[in-house]
Amino acid sequence: MSYLKKVGRYGGSVGLGALLAVGLAGCQQRSDEGATASSVQRAQPAFVVIEEVAKGRYKIAEEFPAKETRIVLKKLDGTEKVMTKEELDYLIKKEAAKIEDGTSNLVKPEGAQVASQGGMGIGEAILASAAGAVLGSWIGSKLFGNPNYQSARKATYKNPSTYSRSVNSFGKKGASSTSSSKRGGFYRSSGSGGRSSARSGFYGG
Amino acid sequence: MSMVELLKITPPDSAYLEKLGFLWHTDSDGTPYLTDTLVKVTESEAEAFYEAGNELYDMFVEAGEYVIENNLFHEIGIPFNLVDMVRESWENDVHWHIYGRFDLAGGIDGEPIKLLEFNADTPTALFESSIVQWAALRNNGLDESAQFNMIYEKLEENFKRLVTLEESVENFDSLYEGWKFLFSSVRGSAEEENTVKLLEYIASNAGFDTEFAFVDEVEFDPAEGIFHDDENFELWFKLIPWESIALDEPDLAMLLTSIVKNHKAIVFNPAYTLMFQSKAMLKILWDLYPGHPLLLETSFDRLDGKKCVSKPLFGREGGNVDILDANGERIVGNGGEYGEYPRIYQEYVELPRDMQGHKYQAGLFFAYESCGIGFRRGGEIMDNMSKFCGHIIEG
Repeated sequence: MSYLKKVGRYGGSVGLGALLAVGLAGCQQRSDEGATASSVQRAQPAFVVIEEVAKGRYKIAEEFPAKETRIVLKKLDGTEKVMTKEELDYLIKKEAAKIEDGTSNLVKPEGAQVASQGGMGIGEAILASAAGAVLGSWIGSKLFGNPNYQSARKATYKNPSTYSRSVNSFGKKGASSTSSSKRGGFYRSSGSGGRSSARSGFYGG
Repeated sequence: MSMVELLKITPPDSAYLEKLGFLWHTDSDGTPYLTDTLVKVTESEAEAFYEAGNELYDMFVEAGEYVIENNLFHEIGIPFNLVDMVRESWENDVHWHIYGRFDLAGGIDGEPIKLLEFNADTPTALFESSIVQWAALRNNGLDESAQFNMIYEKLEENFKRLVTLEESVENFDSLYEGWKFLFSSVRGSAEEENTVKLLEYIASNAGFDTEFAFVDEVEFDPAEGIFHDDENFELWFKLIPWESIALDEPDLAMLLTSIVKNHKAIVFNPAYTLMFQSKAMLKILWDLYPGHPLLLETSFDRLDGKKCVSKPLFGREGGNVDILDANGERIVGNGGEYGEYPRIYQEYVELPRDMQGHKYQAGLFFAYESCGIGFRRGGEIMDNMSKFCGHIIEG
């Protein structure tokens, strides 16, 4: 078992080193100050409808969280088809090569403009959709870490509300809610009953 | 009978422990919670613990599937108002199990490892196992790598899997979308609070945007999700047993069910860990894997002619546990608040002992894989007054 003998195991873990040096409370102050979060796409299976808006140009019409990833292609002539795994693999592979050499609109600075005007190529639209993170996960940071990607993908949605609805249905809420149906105060009375700074040991089993 | 060999050490002093955030170093009778000894474990014993945890977890997953498929929620004591939640959480990988702790007999001095129970929902002893027992090695000038203890590192890794949803955590940074992670305990217990704060700290080091709030400060909206200070949190960890939510705060159980079904938040540990936590699973496991070397015979009825331990389905810390002799007579028992639950009967097994007659039970942490052990030292039944004893690998 290799990790039993991993010498200096805590040398590799900055977090644990800090914890031992300044304790939990000290670390927490620090991590509060330094808390940052990147805003990158998250991999979750999705049902996506991609619509052909002009010959060979595509936009994302609809997308929802789903049990498994499915992409429906709605063509100019009104026909719809579910794309097969082979078709998706082929298109994403092709797009990955363009991402690699920088010719994909997803990673070009003018990508967002191209997307919002005429629409994207089919491979670009697939990777811009919510399904992109799942299907293209192997492409990794070259795509998802590229700042042009985020703006290009927003612009690939058929209208802005499709994008914001999608973001919401995937659980991400922008602003806080003022809804009055929130409930709180659970366990308010049960918490302090006889517990102290001593060990409660309550949930250990 | 197997014997535990000990190494005498100077335990970390109270001031140092308090600085770390480990405030529960003294028991209510004034005795130290940490022993001044370490259990000596051989490398092959540590290896066997590691393998046992991985195998047991796979078996629990099989047993969970069996419960779901056969609708055995009532049989294993899942409160009716959590059944939907258990099912929902079981069906989607986003409900990732962060960590659990197997309690095991044996594993020392040639005794076979036997599963006593699985604390899958709200395991404590995390701080002492991951941090304090290692600090004991360090403060005593012992080999810092001579411990089966990757709990901190494996938890950090497993937090990342909440986003990557696969073994590899390589793509965490590119996949993490900034979902906020709230950590909560019930107000009034330093142990629970700092166990949760330790988890929060590990998650923030993994890269999550985190915050802590006592559960009474958290607001729940069935259509909008989970809020603290008007800020929305997509991820919520609660060190509160699911069955307590079901029975003590049924409205909260209802709200959480709606929130999870509406995909407004993900709650950890997932509701299905309550199935694993139910001691009736020990009976299900015995049915599915009769005679398995890691299991003890377990039944809903007394084991005729066998000394056995009777435990309530959701008791914790040894509450309402009785030991019965071969004739079904109670030899020893703990009182407690769990007496109303149905019970299981598990074949009695002798725990390893030291020269003074103290008994030792291993706690094996599991976070996607087995990741570390610690020991509890106590009497016949491990309870709230049992002590924590670290370990060292020798040989």
